[in-house]
Amino acid sequence: MADFPLAINLQGDYGYKVIVVDDQNTIEEVINTCVDQIAGVFVAPFPEKTVLRARIHGADEPLDNKLKVLDANFIQMEALQVYVEQAQ
Amino acid sequence: MALLKMEEWYDLARETNWTPSYVSQDELYPAPMSNNFDIPLEKWEAFDEPYKSTYRDYVGAQRDKDVGAYSVKAALARAEFFKNASPHWKALLALHFSAVCWAEFHSASAFARMTRFCQSPGMRNMATFGTLDEIRHGQIQIYFAYEFLKHDSVFDWCHKSSKTENWIIISLRHALDDIAHTRDATSAAIMLNMGLELAFTNLQFVALSADAAKCGDHSFATMLQSIQTDEARHAQIGEPIVRIMVENGKKKEAQQLVEISFWRMWKQFSALSGIGMDYYTPLEHRENSLKDFMEEWVIGQFGRTVEALGLDLPWYWDILKKDICSFHHANQIGVYAYRATEWWRPIAGTSPAEREWLEEKYPGWNETYGKCWDVISENIRNGDYEKTVPAPPPLICNMCGLEVVGTAGNEWNAVNHHVDIDDRRYHFCSEPCKWIFEIEPERYKGHKSIIDRVFDGTIGPEPDDFYNYMGQSESERGTDGYNYRWVDGYDEDEDAEKKYATG
Repeated sequence: MADFPLAINLQGDYGYKVIVVDDQNTIEEVINTCVDQIAGVFVAPFPEKTVLRARIHGADEPLDNKLKVLDANFIQMEALQVYVEQAQ
Repeated sequence: MALLKMEEWYDLARETNWTPSYVSQDELYPAPMSNNFDIPLEKWEAFDEPYKSTYRDYVGAQRDKDVGAYSVKAALARAEFFKNASPHWKALLALHFSAVCWAEFHSASAFARMTRFCQSPGMRNMATFGTLDEIRHGQIQIYFAYEFLKHDSVFDWCHKSSKTENWIIISLRHALDDIAHTRDATSAAIMLNMGLELAFTNLQFVALSADAAKCGDHSFATMLQSIQTDEARHAQIGEPIVRIMVENGKKKEAQQLVEISFWRMWKQFSALSGIGMDYYTPLEHRENSLKDFMEEWVIGQFGRTVEALGLDLPWYWDILKKDICSFHHANQIGVYAYRATEWWRPIAGTSPAEREWLEEKYPGWNETYGKCWDVISENIRNGDYEKTVPAPPPLICNMCGLEVVGTAGNEWNAVNHHVDIDDRRYHFCSEPCKWIFEIEPERYKGHKSIIDRVFDGTIGPEPDDFYNYMGQSESERGTDGYNYRWVDGYDEDEDAEKKYATG
């Protein structure tokens, strides 16, 4: 277990923030940490049942929610976007 | 005995050069300091400044400028003005003086190097005046700032700031070191004169002077004008140097120096002048926005100057046109939210009336940056003041030292550019910031942003460690300039103050 800094931009926020997660955290936990720290501060709280996903900045595909940070092949301060998944 | 007229002796005197006999020309003007770009000396000696002045005329003109600015009557009027000034104007003054005073001394040092190491005697002569100008600008602005010390200790930062590791100061110092202090004198002359003075000082001094006059701060307005007249003169060292380089096959080198320095300075003025104009200037005295000024004076006027010199418009000109509508709006949110990391009392500048002005000047502001302010305002109305201060720190650009920002709200667009070197990720707020880094990674890669210093352990883990590192005692940490009374429109009513004020 080790601290792992990530740069994250939550949908609606004006810019990237740096959050520190545990490298054993899953992407879903990273998303939750991001929402806990930014939603209600710069971004209005998301409606219940909103599905949020994370992707590497510039990537098209979201990361697997169950993927652990340690296994994601991230470099420290990797830039992730957390965004609202549109209903299909 | 009849005196010669200036035009009869000026060129001869100016073109008189040393012929070294004890040392070689290269020893007298070593390349790392002097850099002739392989252009022969006789070509450099063709330097012809557009504005000519003798030392006698210079001293007389400067003395006359100082007489009015330093008068006792003006000082008394300023003290009275300051007591009655709005928190908007006080924040603007604090920001201006603490960023600009010491930067003037930096410029004096840069001009002094040009005086010693520039190639032709004409350049060195003009740079001598530039050195004296910049010393004057540092002194007169610190004098004006220190007049306010007895009313507000924030003005201590007009001198102190340069000696601190505050994140905003790191940002400005990194930019100035890059363009003015860490290159040869010829490059510094182009970068400082073209990229900073010719491009941007109008923005800070002329526009701010006009705003100051409207606010009734007439002596400040006069002082700023007197500075700008100096800038307009000595900034002209850069143009003849660029012309000589273009005429002698060094257009590419000159172009790159202008492009690097212009972008580096744009980012600094975006924060300083952008926030100053669009958020800190009292609404009733505001006419033009940063975008208006930039379009007329920089994109228009400076752009024409660049082309007239035989250069091309910088490759990122279209990026700039978008940046003038966005970057400072996003940064203003951060400057307000992370206010404790600043030494002055930041202004939100987003009361209902101010939001109307922002929407008018920047159509779409309410649906983008305004969305973040909706949340901040709602937290204040609900008394959730803790929520107005974010827990995570912002990501800082490894070139300009300002936040990595994009578009907020409904038009959300995350912006991030990066380079990986030696297992370290370098983040950038823009393509030009990344481009500058990639031109010369060895030059820039050792520098660490304030956030890098947190994560590498340079700064301790406790909150006080962070503020101590930045030189900020508890009383030097910024708080809302209006105690939150702006949220529904600068209500001066005491009940409103009780409702929102928490300190």
